[in-house]
Amino acid sequence: MSSRKDQKAANRVVREQIAREQRRKRALWAGVAAVVVLVIAGLIGWSVLRSQQSDTFTAPPGVNDAGNGIVLGTGKVTIDLYEDYLCPACRQFQQTSGATIDQLVSEGKAKVIFHPVAFLNRFSTTQYSTRSSAAAGCAAKGGKFKEFTDQLFARQPAEGSAGLSDDELIDIGAGVGLNRDDFGSCVRAGTYKPWTERVTDDAGRAGVTGTPTILVDGKPVQDRSPDGIKAAVEAAGK
Amino acid sequence: MTVTAVNSSARWAAARPWLGTAARLGLAAVWLIAGGAKVGDLAASGRAVNAYQVMPYDLATVIGAALPFVELALGLLLLVGLASRLAAAVSAALLVVFIAGIASAWARGLAIDCGCFGSGGQLAAGRAPSYLPEILRDLGFLVLAGFLLSWPRTPFSVDGWLAGEPAVEDEDE
Repeated sequence: MSSRKDQKAANRVVREQIAREQRRKRALWAGVAAVVVLVIAGLIGWSVLRSQQSDTFTAPPGVNDAGNGIVLGTGKVTIDLYEDYLCPACRQFQQTSGATIDQLVSEGKAKVIFHPVAFLNRFSTTQYSTRSSAAAGCAAKGGKFKEFTDQLFARQPAEGSAGLSDDELIDIGAGVGLNRDDFGSCVRAGTYKPWTERVTDDAGRAGVTGTPTILVDGKPVQDRSPDGIKAAVEAAGK
Repeated sequence: MTVTAVNSSARWAAARPWLGTAARLGLAAVWLIAGGAKVGDLAASGRAVNAYQVMPYDLATVIGAALPFVELALGLLLLVGLASRLAAAVSAALLVVFIAGIASAWARGLAIDCGCFGSGGQLAAGRAPSYLPEILRDLGFLVLAGFLLSWPRTPFSVDGWLAGEPAVEDEDE
């Protein structure tokens, strides 16, 4: 055939090859860009988490040695309670077994370490879990942790709501005998929010993944009924 | 016989790129919703990872914080169709890990929420875990990722624009 025709065909092949090479290169760079995007996204998540964590915290008076729970009573057996003030199952637990635990404490058989964790911030529009827990820290400072805690469960807001406002929390505090000014400024300043974060973080570290979690001398209690709690405390006290 | 075979294969060839776009956008929506649900509470996301009890707590918090952002980034890549095959491969890998995690939680008798779309962690007493629906759902997403992995070139994608050619006629590239 004519050499001109051959030449044309050869040119076309070369052009196609160059185009294919270019497409390959672009696809490669697209891939590199995508990987970079994914890695950067992961790093952003990590650094956001780091920036949210505060290094220092002040624990309210009356905490345990680890600083992550409020100690009630002096009994030999330790009952750890991990509860979120927004958690309906915690409210239910307090209603059915709260009196039994109070009795065990007052009889001197057990002491309670109450860990007010903030697991459920997603279930209120105002971070109620953190706010209520930090307010409980303020109540501990005023010596009314137990009374305040009982009131918060009695007046527990619904999941998905805005929760109780700071004003309402302060009213509840004043209602259980806390100094309105001291308690109010502590709640408004969020003095114990870093403490709440520590309490929550330590709970996760200890393997607590849900609320309520009840430990008797470090062992999880499955039967949360009054009898179950009593039996676990008696077994641990032997 | 032959005529119907030709017909259906032609129909497949015409429909496939659009099915690919649907798979790409569907998977993008999955990641954007999953990431968006978790990104507001990174500490909770870390606890959800920790609830699987497969890694130390500190590692779980880091994974839990990184994951929502990676999911959002994957969603965006799929939405615009940049590096679709790679995004589909990463999606498939993540989904396989998720399915393995749920299956192992099931096998070990843990009572947790998968935390796939927010929440997560241990279930309240009396609430039964729903591992099977969670796994079936993830398998469905895996099918989308597999489709995109096999035929990554789809209409309305940055990939197609970069290649500078109509999406319909490409075969393996």
